[in-house]
Amino acid sequence: MRNRIRVLRAEHEWSQAEVADRLGIARQTINALETGKYAPSLPLAFKISKLFKKPVEEIFDPASEES
Amino acid sequence: MNTPNPTAVAGRRYATEFSISMVAYAVVLIISITTIEHGLSPALKLVFALLPLIPIAFVFAAIVRYMSSIDELQRRIQIESLSLAAGITALLAITYGFLETVGLPHLSAWYTYAAVMVAWLIAQPFVARRYR
Repeated sequence: MRNRIRVLRAEHEWSQAEVADRLGIARQTINALETGKYAPSLPLAFKISKLFKKPVEEIFDPASEES
Repeated sequence: MNTPNPTAVAGRRYATEFSISMVAYAVVLIISITTIEHGLSPALKLVFALLPLIPIAFVFAAIVRYMSSIDELQRRIQIESLSLAAGITALLAITYGFLETVGLPHLSAWYTYAAVMVAWLIAQPFVARRYR
């Protein structure tokens, strides 16, 4: 699923490791999310939404199944 | 960040728990083998033969704890590789079972355990690559 995590992370000037720590997940997981290889669970999607202070639908694009 | 990353903590804690359990296993195994050699009653022999299961139970607990503390994708990778390992082991066991019927030597049940563990280890990087 396509998403704007990489863009939002860049706007905040956070590294993948920083975002991983803030979300309590592995750096590899953040990378898989950014590349669209993995679609997060609903609880993780809401955690991401809370971290970037943006609604879930502004971060994730449900129209795209592939990255 | 002040709160430690649970996925990172899980990895470090697993490494510690696994190392301690394996040292304990080695010690208990030596005790078990040397004691059994000293001619005991069949009942006591059984007790000492099963003694190494205690540290093994701690290894199992460490794995379960690790699996439940890592993040959802890492858990998925572990579960997918474990499923693959179970399937591969089942195929190997069936194959060898048929070969035994045509005369190959009967193998110890230990090989099944070894096959699951080795297959799990090998499957992990292949499964992880799909999410990279």
